Amino acid sequence: MTQIQAQPAQAQAQAAGRRELISFRIGAQEFCVDIMSIREIRGWTAATALPQSPSFVRGVINLRGAVLPIVDLAARLGFESTEASDRNVIIVAQIGDQVVGLLVDAVSDILTVTDDVIQPTPDVASETAKTFVRGLIAMDGRMISLIGLERVLPDHMELEAA
Amino acid sequence: MDPLAAIRETFFQECDEQLAELESGLLAMEGGDQDPETINAVFRAVHSIKGGAGAFSLEALIRFAHVFETALDEMRSGRLEATSDVLKTMLRASDVLADLVSAAHAGEEGDDPRAATLADELKAMSGGEDDTSESEEDWGDDFDFQPQAVSFEAPAGPTGFVVRFKPRADLYAKANESALLLRELARLGEASVELDAHDVPPINEIDPEAAYLSWTVTLTGDMDETAIREVFEFVDGDCELSIEPIAADEAEAGGEPEFDIGSLLAKVQGDAPAATEEAPAEIEPAAAAEPEPEAAPEPAPTLAVVPKAAAPEAPADALASTGPRKTEAGATIRVDLERVDRLIDLVGELVINQAVLSQRVMEAGLARASAVAMGLDELEQLTREIQDSVMAIRAQPVKSVFQRMPRLVREVAAMTGKPVRLVTEGEGTEVDKTVIERLADPLTHMIRNAIDHGLESPEKRAAAGKPAEGVVKLAAFHRSGRIVIEVSDDGGGINRERVKGIAVEKGLIAADAALSDEEIDNLIFMPGFSTASEVSDISGRGVGMDVVRRSILALGGRINIVSKPGKGSTFTMSLPLTLAVLDGMVVSVANQTLVAPITAIVETLQPKASDVHSLGGHSRVISIRGGFVPLIDIGMALGYRRDPLPATQGVALLIEGEGGARAALLVDAIQGQRQVVIKSLEANYRQVPGVAAATILGDGRVALILDIDTIVSVSRGEMRKAG
Repeated sequence: MTQIQAQPAQAQAQAAGRRELISFRIGAQEFCVDIMSIREIRGWTAATALPQSPSFVRGVINLRGAVLPIVDLAARLGFESTEASDRNVIIVAQIGDQVVGLLVDAVSDILTVTDDVIQPTPDVASETAKTFVRGLIAMDGRMISLIGLERVLPDHMELEAA
Repeated sequence: MDPLAAIRETFFQECDEQLAELESGLLAMEGGDQDPETINAVFRAVHSIKGGAGAFSLEALIRFAHVFETALDEMRSGRLEATSDVLKTMLRASDVLADLVSAAHAGEEGDDPRAATLADELKAMSGGEDDTSESEEDWGDDFDFQPQAVSFEAPAGPTGFVVRFKPRADLYAKANESALLLRELARLGEASVELDAHDVPPINEIDPEAAYLSWTVTLTGDMDETAIREVFEFVDGDCELSIEPIAADEAEAGGEPEFDIGSLLAKVQGDAPAATEEAPAEIEPAAAAEPEPEAAPEPAPTLAVVPKAAAPEAPADALASTGPRKTEAGATIRVDLERVDRLIDLVGELVINQAVLSQRVMEAGLARASAVAMGLDELEQLTREIQDSVMAIRAQPVKSVFQRMPRLVREVAAMTGKPVRLVTEGEGTEVDKTVIERLADPLTHMIRNAIDHGLESPEKRAAAGKPAEGVVKLAAFHRSGRIVIEVSDDGGGINRERVKGIAVEKGLIAADAALSDEEIDNLIFMPGFSTASEVSDISGRGVGMDVVRRSILALGGRINIVSKPGKGSTFTMSLPLTLAVLDGMVVSVANQTLVAPITAIVETLQPKASDVHSLGGHSRVISIRGGFVPLIDIGMALGYRRDPLPATQGVALLIEGEGGARAALLVDAIQGQRQVVIKSLEANYRQVPGVAAATILGDGRVALILDIDTIVSVSRGEMRKAG
């Protein structure tokens, strides 16, 4: 099952192949990430804009004394930028040793799935899909994309382009 | 780290403290301090290093420390006079000892030829007899590693030993028993035991927990010192112990056990009738317990019920007179720096939280006199106090860096052949530990410069009618929330002709530039400037005052020089007390709130339309008192807006960046000044050009702290491209 190789450690840890995912909405799309990387979920607060940053970096906010960058996940995944309002939600995720806030429209559910439910991503042309989508889950007639967060923050090329 | 390595590390940490103690003690003595406690402290420092070195078998260190200690002992006992020459040698010896310690720390123990020469000098001073005094010097010392280290030096074959044994209260508190020790000692040979009950106070002043008795045991027979020490192994540190080989005649004379029970009883009963009446029951066991050493002196438990009210001041007095004289152990603890930093972080968050809360309460429309608002005011005071106290934990006296300077001065003075006296002032001035650490290099450099370039040669000084000995002064004091450090010399001052000549020659300034004296003096801070005509060992390695200046600026400080021809120069550095907070000017730019470090801001001004000139594109300059400086629109530099702000609608901050470059930063408005807690952007994101760090303001929002140097240099580059 190729799609699990993205998180080998986790695959080992959960020998039974059961994992918990948190799903959220961006526009009409549904996505999910592994619940183990989520630290907390909080309401939207206005961010301080950062100069020389790509458009999907909305700025930084104060999270109990720490400076937290906010990534507009819609813009990051190639959709239209989010018009942030009080109804939006920030998912605070741990990526490596950094903590990053992800701006999404709403958190919808916690899913418990087995690995065999996760289908490999079909070959598509989109670069973003290849970069972020780790697999697809069909559930109650909906499609939920499982995304990996490792490359959510801008890399050097994207910074220069900004 | 395995336990032994950890202990080793602690030993070296302590060595550093002892070395500092040693040097400052010697310097105090050189300055005329004749307090016996000073020489004792110096002696103890060397002794402790030797003791610790013994525990880790650091042979070279032990050998040198031993010779050093012997010389110091001679001085302590008054046999060696503390003349200035002697003290100079001792100071050099302390330098060598420091080198040996660091060599040992690095694991490169070897024979240092300097150590050998100095050891010989020290031996010559102490009259050559450096071995026999070994055993007596432990008296009253609670740090005792010698037996392993130096037993090879003990002369063989005395016919007996005189053991003086004086338990401290701690010995009894740890449930040890003097009688058992004496009994053990008696097994080693023929023993005669003498009790000294001199210190026993009248009964009403007896502190039940104190120790008053001491014994002198004369042991004759065939035994060695190690065996005697083994008897006392478990009470090491809890008693005063001296073991001396018996002098030949003394061994024969032996020693009758002189023990006068009558006088003790008389003392007990005669001096304290009142106490006897009040607590007759206690006298009996006490008296019975004391007389015979073998009969287990257990004063502590039996006397514990003596009414203390009868003699309220007694315990303290008794302890003071009989307890071991410890030099103030300084109630300090070692704490991991990380823990302190974590605490500082947390307090920073508390301060922010408190500010947010206050603002929220105000927004909620509560009256200032309401109970909630008043409670908040108190909370605010408390948080500030906590913040100050926590910052104070990190604060340390600059002494630790000043202390390194006397040695440097000695060395540079020796190399340049200029006699120099270092005067330090305000060593107790406190500043954040990180600031102190980063001060050492610039200070070292400045002091070298002061001696090498600042002071004239002795001949020139004589010609100028100055004393041959030059004076370099290092002073620290607090001024308006910052620490100011001055390095001054009484040398010739800056040779402005030459400085200007060199600057022209190196293309740093135009040949016809009209510069004020002050401006010429400040040329020495320019990169690539060095006035030493020959590259010496001491200074002039291409790194000059510009490096000093840069490191001071990096600390958020400023440096300037005042020089008077023929009188000398004074460098003045002003530094923040801590790196965790910063004095900032809060400004708004394109609806964003930003913070500019106040240290960089020279002045603020309201630009007049007539002063601002366009150089084409978006490049503008502003004329300030006849000169033109670039006007940088911060909003555009950071990409917050596309069109420049009309200069008259904003406020210009005249700043001075790295290398003295000036520029005017145009912002929309100034909100005010405040101290802000510095927060890293890199921790969760990455470095952002033009932004030094972030902070959190009272409304709970993040504000960015400007990196002025980058903004200036980037906009320069753009200007060049545009031009």
